Amino acid sequence: MKFYILKERLAKSVQDVLKAVASRTTIPILTGIKIDVTEEGVTLTGSNSDISIKSFIPKEEDEVELVEIFETGSIVLQARFFNEVVRKLPESIVEIEVEDQFKTIIRSGNAEFIIHGLDAEEYPRLPELDEENSFSMPADLLATLIKQTVFAVSQSETRPILTGVHWNFENDELIAVATDSHRLALKKATLKTGLFGNNSFSIVIPGKSLNELIKVIDENSQEPVEIIVTETQILFKAKHLLFYSRLLEGKYPDTSKLIPTDSKTTVKLNTKEFLNAVDRASLLAREGKNNVVKFTTMDNGIIEISSYTPEIGKVVETVKSLSIEGEELKISFSAKYMMEALRAIDGTEITIYFTGAMRPFVIKTDEDDTILQLILPVRTF
Amino acid sequence: MDKKNLRSWDKLESLQPKVMHLLKQMLIKNRVAHAYLFEGMKGTGKKEAGLTLAKAVFCEEPIEGYKPCERCIQCKRINTGNHPDLYIIEPEGSSIKKEQIQLLQEEFSKTGVESAKKFYIIIHADLMTVNAANSLLKFLEEPGRETTAVLVTENIHKILPTILSRCQHISFTPIPKQTFILQLINEGIKKERAPLLANLTNSIDEALKLSEDQWFLQARKLVIKLYEIKSTQSLPDTLLFLQTDWLTHFKEREQLDIGLDMLLFIYKDLLYLQLGKDDQLIYPSYKDEWMQHALQVSASRLTEQIRAILEAKKRLRSNVNSQLLMEQLMIKLQEG
Repeated sequence: MKFYILKERLAKSVQDVLKAVASRTTIPILTGIKIDVTEEGVTLTGSNSDISIKSFIPKEEDEVELVEIFETGSIVLQARFFNEVVRKLPESIVEIEVEDQFKTIIRSGNAEFIIHGLDAEEYPRLPELDEENSFSMPADLLATLIKQTVFAVSQSETRPILTGVHWNFENDELIAVATDSHRLALKKATLKTGLFGNNSFSIVIPGKSLNELIKVIDENSQEPVEIIVTETQILFKAKHLLFYSRLLEGKYPDTSKLIPTDSKTTVKLNTKEFLNAVDRASLLAREGKNNVVKFTTMDNGIIEISSYTPEIGKVVETVKSLSIEGEELKISFSAKYMMEALRAIDGTEITIYFTGAMRPFVIKTDEDDTILQLILPVRTF
Repeated sequence: MDKKNLRSWDKLESLQPKVMHLLKQMLIKNRVAHAYLFEGMKGTGKKEAGLTLAKAVFCEEPIEGYKPCERCIQCKRINTGNHPDLYIIEPEGSSIKKEQIQLLQEEFSKTGVESAKKFYIIIHADLMTVNAANSLLKFLEEPGRETTAVLVTENIHKILPTILSRCQHISFTPIPKQTFILQLINEGIKKERAPLLANLTNSIDEALKLSEDQWFLQARKLVIKLYEIKSTQSLPDTLLFLQTDWLTHFKEREQLDIGLDMLLFIYKDLLYLQLGKDDQLIYPSYKDEWMQHALQVSASRLTEQIRAILEAKKRLRSNVNSQLLMEQLMIKLQEG
């Protein structure tokens, strides 16, 4: 294996795949970055077995030659050293050559490094792609979809399946659901490119993987991201960047029955005012164990938000609602869950549908009917 | 991983014919259970058998349908410890912690990295903390698809009964001691030394390694000297010797464990001498000297002393100060 490459491009690709490289792992080879050189260009791969990132550097881009290939081949190099070495090389062109016994020589200007590599054969193999089982989505929509759901996944490992986000595909529609059994976030998206015929199927993607994914995709771009589902992994394919994640195994609980359809009290509020009020009320509640605030409907469309922590003190604030319909209500809920739900909903006005003080309530916005947040109240008496 | 430790299927078959026959039948009939418990003495090839089973499960082209080929990339990666769907849990320090099992559980809630198959091996499963064992239990109860677990232990009695009942047991029988001693002598080990090595391990490789180990040779001398000082001189002298020579040599817990084993064998020898089973002596070269001691002590006193050593061995596992442990043991052995 031997090639010349532009340092800038190599360094950027190394940075990208480094996000997936495990600092601590039981599989020694995963501490390395895999370099594959083919006739088309150079591919770098990093993995921690949960997620894997591949970055491709084509031979040419926009009439500029990025890589000059003399000999194809593969090698695995220690990620930590390789990253440092590449960043600190003196010249803008890097030469990488592999000799016998995985001895790798990196030359740039007058500097020459000899690094002992590992056998690329030993590196885990990422699944083969079946382009037919794929669909695509603009990058910005994908990022929003993830951000509006992933915060609600369970942090505890007692029910591993709840640490993931459930993606259910049905009739060109994708429904993403995350829940930790105290609250639930749901987001729908319509898929333009029809997929898998008319089959409906579902997968559960680990929340941690999705959090990593939003770091690598460009959320301001309209570029389509191709999504391919295989038996064991899901692949997100952006321009020159491939992101693989393992899936969670097991059956996701049926969440559709949890969401109440009727409502006894409907309150419409200005999102920002309400969010700030809950935030203030939680200042004192945060110190207590449960971070609970109380929500009470008053006359003339006034809402009282209060919290009382015996050893610290008490806070009361009134918020003028836009409208209240239905029965009077006193309800308590976790301020943290409410704030996270409100932040996820991207709208100036929100509507909360209550079905009694002991029943879960739903938060929606008129501006965007694809998102829904559900929170379970807290019993306080 | 130590290349020497990796034995092929054939070699294991000659060592553990029954076990390997069982594994072969399972593989051919495609009836690999979800959890196995491999139990047997140290050096009986349990871990290698576990790894070989893993290779047989993952191998791309098993020979005759069951024997790992040792050539394909799957086998190679298992040999080098780089297979992404094989997990090996070993004690961290003196026990297997709950966090380790939790990490394993996290790992197994996800789909396999490459294939749908997953395999895990827990070495020294008896060293799991109660919490760890209980976490594992849930996991053994609801195994995922195509998941295989191998628990390896030298001490089956220390495994929780609830775990025991959820695994298929496979016993690794040690090579009969007399045969093993003869094998060692064939390998060029001195006749007087062979019985001690045979009592410490059941693996030829390990025995050969021990017989060349400077630390071990010195340890043997020190143990015998300790016994002699103990039986001929006063308690303060024994404690002094313990302090100055003995404990400086047996620094690590595992070393002390071997030391206690060797001390135990001396008392075993005394018992054998009393019973007239001269052919089973572990230190045959001291036969004449110790005959005297054997005649002076009662059988019940001897059993008491042996019990004291076993008690010390047990306490060694629960994080005690080794000096205090040894001093207490010496006092117990000397009194009466």
